[in-house]
Amino acid sequence: MNPPLGSTVLTQRKEREIPEPLPSLNTPTKRISAIREELLNTRYSICLERPLLLEKFKTSPQGRRARSSHPLIRRARAISYILSHRAPKIYDNELIIGNMTSKQVAANYYPEGGSINIMEDLFRLENRQVPIHLTFWEKIQLAKIGFKTSLSSVGGKTLLRPGRFSHFLDFFRAKRYFITEEAGIGHQVGNYMDVVHNGLVRSDMKAKQCLETGTLGNGAPLSGDQKAFFESVRIVIEGIRKMAENLADAAERKAKEPEITDERRKELLSSAAACRHVPYFPARTFLEGLQSCWLVHVALNLEDFEQGMSFGRLDQILYPLYCREMENGRLNAEKAAEIMAGFQLKTCETMPLYSERIDQYFSGNAVAQGITVGGTGADGNDATNELSALILDAFAQIRTREPALHVRVHENTPAWFLEKAVEVVQLGCGKPSFFGDPAVIRALENAGMTTEHARDYAVIGCVEMASQGRTYNSSDACLFNLPLCLELALNEGRRFSGWNPLRKRFGADSLPVAQMRSFEDVVAAFRVQVNDAVGEMVRVISWLEKTYRVVRPTAINSIVTEGCLDKGADVTWGGGLYDLTSIQVAGLADAGDSLYAIKKLVFEEKRMSLSSLVEILKNNFSGHESLRRELVNKFSHYGNGIKEVDTMTQLAADIYSDAILSHKNTRGGQYVPGIYSMTCHIGFGRKTGALPSGRPAGARLSNGLSPIDGLDRCGPTAVLRSAASLDSSKWANCCALNMKFDKKIVSGKTGRKALSGIFRTYFDQGGMQVQVNVLDADTLRAARRDPSAHPGLVVRVAGYCAYFNDLQPTVQEEIIERTAHGIG
Amino acid sequence: MESGNMAHPKNPAVFSIQHFCLHDGPGVRSIVFLKGCPLRCAWCQNPESWKASPDIAFKAHLCIDCKTCVNACPQDAIAAPGVRDVHKCDLCFTCVENCPSGAMTCFGKYYTPESLMEELRPEFPFFGNTGGGVTFSGGEPTLFSGFVADLANRLHEEEIHTALETCGYFDPQKDIRFLSDIDLVLFDIKLYDEAEHSKYCGKSNTDIKKNLTRLAALSFSGTGPGIWPRLPLIPSITDTHENLTGWAEFLNNIGISFLTLVPYHNMGGPKRQWLNLPSAPEFPTLTDESLRASINLLRENGISCFAPGEEDWANSGLKT
Ligand code: SF4
Ligand code: SF4
Repeated sequence: MNPPLGSTVLTQRKEREIPEPLPSLNTPTKRISAIREELLNTRYSICLERPLLLEKFKTSPQGRRARSSHPLIRRARAISYILSHRAPKIYDNELIIGNMTSKQVAANYYPEGGSINIMEDLFRLENRQVPIHLTFWEKIQLAKIGFKTSLSSVGGKTLLRPGRFSHFLDFFRAKRYFITEEAGIGHQVGNYMDVVHNGLVRSDMKAKQCLETGTLGNGAPLSGDQKAFFESVRIVIEGIRKMAENLADAAERKAKEPEITDERRKELLSSAAACRHVPYFPARTFLEGLQSCWLVHVALNLEDFEQGMSFGRLDQILYPLYCREMENGRLNAEKAAEIMAGFQLKTCETMPLYSERIDQYFSGNAVAQGITVGGTGADGNDATNELSALILDAFAQIRTREPALHVRVHENTPAWFLEKAVEVVQLGCGKPSFFGDPAVIRALENAGMTTEHARDYAVIGCVEMASQGRTYNSSDACLFNLPLCLELALNEGRRFSGWNPLRKRFGADSLPVAQMRSFEDVVAAFRVQVNDAVGEMVRVISWLEKTYRVVRPTAINSIVTEGCLDKGADVTWGGGLYDLTSIQVAGLADAGDSLYAIKKLVFEEKRMSLSSLVEILKNNFSGHESLRRELVNKFSHYGNGIKEVDTMTQLAADIYSDAILSHKNTRGGQYVPGIYSMTCHIGFGRKTGALPSGRPAGARLSNGLSPIDGLDRCGPTAVLRSAASLDSSKWANCCALNMKFDKKIVSGKTGRKALSGIFRTYFDQGGMQVQVNVLDADTLRAARRDPSAHPGLVVRVAGYCAYFNDLQPTVQEEIIERTAHGIG
Repeated sequence: MESGNMAHPKNPAVFSIQHFCLHDGPGVRSIVFLKGCPLRCAWCQNPESWKASPDIAFKAHLCIDCKTCVNACPQDAIAAPGVRDVHKCDLCFTCVENCPSGAMTCFGKYYTPESLMEELRPEFPFFGNTGGGVTFSGGEPTLFSGFVADLANRLHEEEIHTALETCGYFDPQKDIRFLSDIDLVLFDIKLYDEAEHSKYCGKSNTDIKKNLTRLAALSFSGTGPGIWPRLPLIPSITDTHENLTGWAEFLNNIGISFLTLVPYHNMGGPKRQWLNLPSAPEFPTLTDESLRASINLLRENGISCFAPGEEDWANSGLKT
């Protein structure tokens, strides 16, 4: 059997029959339990190695020389310097080596990105709800770094300029939107198929050849920028090789230590041998395949930032290596599962760095390193294999906040596999999430992908989308507050409340309500506000994109993104085969239900004028509690399978999607919409006035594709019906439908069959995504009272999972309150 | 044809339709709860099912004291929120419709077979992938055997599995053809001793035993629906040694070797308040030990026990 060659290989033939019955591999070995325990008992910290090395680089001879070079080369040299100078760490028991930071569990610090926000908490790091531990000396260092680099972030460089200052302030008062791209772009599913099977040597040789011949692959002569790009590629590859060698050296040194057992010595030497080979050369074994992925992943993390760096379809990528070793008897399923569990545990070494203020928008300490399993191959046939199951089993062994796990479902997904995935859901970690192949593939085709490439999609981070290894998707560029646009539409572009003596407009000038004669007038004004907010947001993102190109290009990311080496362009310069910028929406159901309420109350039943309704909203329903109750209790809401109100949610989604889709980014790529909201629906909610849906001012908004909390009154199947009835073909960045089930209701075989059955129906009906929390409210209340009682309790928040204890109290509250489905 | 909301004396009132039920028959099911019950079990958790006609309930905790109900009532039957003169009230439901908070609630809505089918139809796709279907419950659905038979027939035409939950209290001479489109009967048994049964459930159990015997015979001869008995475990009332061994012997005699035990939880309490009914007697909560003891005792007497939703329908040897 030949390993697949070239990045064009999409999926593997089924080499092996799936054994029947499939072995259950979900019991952790001693090694896995030991690593897990160590990680869970390690306190969170911040690693200062990266910023310190970056400073050191600037004053080093290389750094001084780099100052006058092309921006691509300058950046590549800096990154390469970090990679080759960071201290290698080998932890006990691990088979896959390569430390993510200088500490066992810590956040990397990115002066170029948003890490500076942690300065807000500098004097109370240990007293945060999620404590961060630094020594006194480290705090001083951190303060120094923060001070020195405060103006060097992309956001600062872009916005601290005349005419842009108010946009700079917007970061601190996110209302209509929250631009996350300021922190970094991250969010990538690299071409691990290429990395594992061809090694970085393929890209290195290609770059070398282009530089030697002075031409691109297609014969066109290289421009100066292109030449710089290919040089940057070779520079960072050199850095990655050096990092791998340093690790190999460290493993060999450790192997020589006298107290090391013979068995461990063998493991260390084989890890060392692996790191001398991969990721530069093609992986020869299953272990080397994962080692290769891991080292490139670490490099990607250190290059840009940590959010959403994902592995793609590891069941497809590693399958040939797995088969080969299973056949020649050098591997067995138990060992493979142990290696895989150890690999997944490595993802727990990292965490994001948010101040508590920012944390209300992105609560939960998740960076969402996604692994996608199952689904169809490029030919449309089922590609589920043994590894798809093994990856799920490996997670069942560890049950940690990372990695993120995603299961693709289509018509021919085997029943055993879907049930196995639900079995993992039943563990109560909020994973995996489920994706409907037909809906996702259709949306990706609409965004310009070929059918074959769309079928090879993998999930970025939480729910976002890429054709793996071919896409540069700034998939979490910005979060958008849709209901606020409705508030603005009902008040000529002004917010309902807030100190505004000059009657300054916050949004666009739109028709005064007194002049609105029909529901269509309301819709038109809403559209004006959405378009205006989206336009404004795109303007800011465009500025950021231009800054990225100069100060933060990403050569490593470009190596793992098809298209860049062909075009001779960095991903930030538009090198990716597919280029997208994705905007996420919060409060979709609030917007839809509010439109419905206006239509029915004002225009159909003519119970009051629009102006009187708006007056009541401006006063936050004060004196009109019975109207508010009526809107909540007696009006239909999205999520109950009621067509007339679900179509209003569709209308809101379309107005938003059309506004997003009308823009192109500065790389020539398409803007696409996604329907999910992290925990932004809480932060945004605070800034949003009362809504016609009956929601009082300041209350949290609905999240993602989910109904308004507590207003899904007909059970989970009705929620699925409503969600599946919406046309998702424009949502190329997918959506998140959160459901919470009482553990008691969906336990055992009955629960497993029921959940897998209703999910299959949901996907048959065109559903795009669903994710589930299985928990009982008592467990959560207990966890909230006594955080030490359930240290490992994992819940799904919006698109990602987090330890319950890491969540903001408001988010904890929400999780507890959210309708516990399961009537019966 | 009358619309679903209008009173229709021939059709039963439905007090709830619940979807995604996993514990009342195989797969994912929708349960249609019909109003009207001949028994008055002391521990009943659905007192809103007792009367065949619609009920008005008042959920005090939701009331915002807006007095809309007081002002809206055409009969002047409401003196103050929650204070309704049942003699003056003619059940026009104006108060319920106008109450903004949902404090005034109506239990019982009339459906025609057509309108009920439309209500259920969106759930059909979920049944197929889970082996589920529709369960008629109550109240006592055999009180409306014509309606149930009609619906079961319509459901069968669309290949939907049907189940019926009964307390077994109906005329033993009753024409059994109303069950011809029912696939599975969930037969609730309570107290074995007749006097005890009359004491706690308000009626004798003689006919219940006869009906269980008759349905089991039909089932085992392949001429009736599958049958599956269920027993609510009320501490020191239905979980006594005599009661469990009594039923075990009875079931063995009619050829049934399985039983679902439904552990008792006190959830019917607030409902009685809403309906202005005297509160239910307090029963202790079932402990895990006594549940285990009951299971062991029944097993010793040849009966395998199942938890609701965990039944081994396929192995029961019955048509399901
Ligand atoms: S049902 Fe009609 S008559 Fe009875 S209390 Fe309500 S409004 Fe009055
Ligand atoms: S209408 Fe409803 S909320 Fe208002 S007083 Fe009557 S019962 Fe209470």
